[in-house]
Amino acid sequence: MDNGSSIKKFAGASQYVLDEELAEIINVSMALEMPLLLKGEPGTGKTQLAHAIAGALDMRLIVLNVKSSMKLVEALYQYDTLTRLNDSRFGDSSRDVSNVEEYIKMGKIGQSFVSDKRVVLLIDEIDKADTDFQDDMLDVLDQMEFDIIEIDKTIKAKNRPVIIITSNAKKDLSDPFLGRCNFHHIAFPDADMMRKIIQVHFTEIGKDLLDSTVRCFYRLREFRNIEKKPATRELINWVRALRSDPDFRVKDLIKGEVPYLGVLFKKSADYEAAQNGVGRFRV
Amino acid sequence: MRPPRMVSAASGYETRHMFIDFFYTLKRVGVPVSPTSFLRLQKALSLGLINSLDGFYTAARSILVKSERYFDLYDQVFAHTFEGAELTEPDEFALNDMARAMLDEWLRDPGGMAEALGEDKDELSKLSPEELLDYFLERLKEQTEQHHGGGKWIGTHGTSPVGHSGYHPGGMRVGGVSRNKSAVKVAMDRRYKDYSQEGPLTQAQIGEALKRLRNMIPVGAKDQINIDKTIYQTMKNAGEIEIVFDRSLKDRLKVILAIDNGGWSMDPYIEMVQVLFNYARAQFKDLKTFFFHNTIYDYLWEDPRRIRKPFAVDDLVRLDPDTRFIIVGDASMAPFELMATDGSIHIEERSGKPSHQRLQFIADTFPYALWINPKMALEWQYTNTINAIRQVFPMFELTLDGLEGAVTHMMRKH
Repeated sequence: MDNGSSIKKFAGASQYVLDEELAEIINVSMALEMPLLLKGEPGTGKTQLAHAIAGALDMRLIVLNVKSSMKLVEALYQYDTLTRLNDSRFGDSSRDVSNVEEYIKMGKIGQSFVSDKRVVLLIDEIDKADTDFQDDMLDVLDQMEFDIIEIDKTIKAKNRPVIIITSNAKKDLSDPFLGRCNFHHIAFPDADMMRKIIQVHFTEIGKDLLDSTVRCFYRLREFRNIEKKPATRELINWVRALRSDPDFRVKDLIKGEVPYLGVLFKKSADYEAAQNGVGRFRV
Repeated sequence: MRPPRMVSAASGYETRHMFIDFFYTLKRVGVPVSPTSFLRLQKALSLGLINSLDGFYTAARSILVKSERYFDLYDQVFAHTFEGAELTEPDEFALNDMARAMLDEWLRDPGGMAEALGEDKDELSKLSPEELLDYFLERLKEQTEQHHGGGKWIGTHGTSPVGHSGYHPGGMRVGGVSRNKSAVKVAMDRRYKDYSQEGPLTQAQIGEALKRLRNMIPVGAKDQINIDKTIYQTMKNAGEIEIVFDRSLKDRLKVILAIDNGGWSMDPYIEMVQVLFNYARAQFKDLKTFFFHNTIYDYLWEDPRRIRKPFAVDDLVRLDPDTRFIIVGDASMAPFELMATDGSIHIEERSGKPSHQRLQFIADTFPYALWINPKMALEWQYTNTINAIRQVFPMFELTLDGLEGAVTHMMRKH
């Protein structure tokens, strides 16, 4: 951390292994006040990164999980007509029925705007929504304000949130969208990086186990005809499974016996292909 | 203490010139960079955020380049501009990519593009997209030759970026940057090469390709009345009748896959295509796989070795004509194999009908037949047999876009 500077800088968190490149990009994006768009294979930790940033900067994290049917206004605010109707019928709540504002609830983006402290806003899997949603959303994020039509009020952001957007799609998002974001693509970590990632998750892991699991993992990823290759998440779960098995010996792995393939390969056809494959190799 | 800033390290004018040069080189090689993003980069520089060349490499990429497909080009341009590392001579693939980027630009802004090329816009408008692609490719090749002498295929306005401002890029690593390599070295590694080609389908893209195939679900017309919903909607409408239609059910598709497994040129694709369709199998009513060598004569084979289980082409008429007949092959062979009456290299297949007649027969039997070719479309025109087969079957590349086109074609109504 750079204490001398007024800009809080991000240097890494305990559960997330950050490469310098990424750290730099995050700092630049924060300073330029631009959303950062992260792309990359599933399992490269795009979502995890937002958690790590929030943790390191000591900010609250607000997550907007984008769904295909989502409308922008849902992410901004909701007008709870049902409660109001209920209140006006029974009149037993402390809310003032004639005051519409009491029935406005903030959506995720709205929450990040009205928060007294600066927050990290994660907009997860933006590619699920249609392009109109995407473009409209960036308008709001550009202007840092939106209108609540029911009460004719403009909500302005008290603090500009740190915005992280993730996308799984191989297809590019629209040009205007891309124009307003900084972009980074998280490549699949190489073996060295992967070893560090595993060490972060299993601090007291032995070197033998670490080396042979990682080596085995990359061999398994090379199998052909696999629809969904195992990613970091699967490797971590696999190591966890191996470590909790009292009968497991690292030697077995070196001999080419790979237990718990099901943790790594989750589609039955992939699982079968992998099982055929491991019969033929030694690590 | 703040480490020295990059801008002040080199003298102002020349640095700026270098950045502008960098920006335009990016633009020229086909990275879609916008002036706005360039200004934003300037802002980042003036904020003092970037204080080393390494930092500049990363920050400029995240601000200027918005897709990993261009990371490789960016790396090359970066290395070129900041260390004078020479750009590699473009191979056919790189040229293809660029020609495509030029076509996109042309579609967006025909006037500007025509001006840049020094051509008449109306002249160019007469060409079809394919012809335009060829034309751009031609121009690009010309350019390659022009600049060949200097070993740099992109004009540098006669200025060498090397030693511009008298600083050595390696010397710019300030402020405790501990990356093992300098940014230029990293750039020269070309880590993103795999992401840059729009080449044939690879294993890694199988998931994505499957999504394209998932569209192969038949949709009937909305012509069946849903009585429950109609009553409900009519009640809701206070008695005003509103009829709700549903889509009529349609049977799932039958698919025949005929794969050329004859030559080594097809080897990398056979398994992949099979895996692809096997994964999608659940949504098909029936999936049959046949094999052939180079082209189809009297028989298709159900066993990959093409010995045991022959299937007479004449018997295909007994199958459902709505079957989607997909042929996968490079369609490249000696012309006589396709045209001659005894073209087959297998002695037992001598019915006297040339292969192209057989292919025509298949195309007539199955209106939804098509050909998928692992060769890239830009190379097709150079092979006679491909041209001949394209007259019989609609042909698509074995790429994500090609598959998408193929699926659309197969779901079209005839």
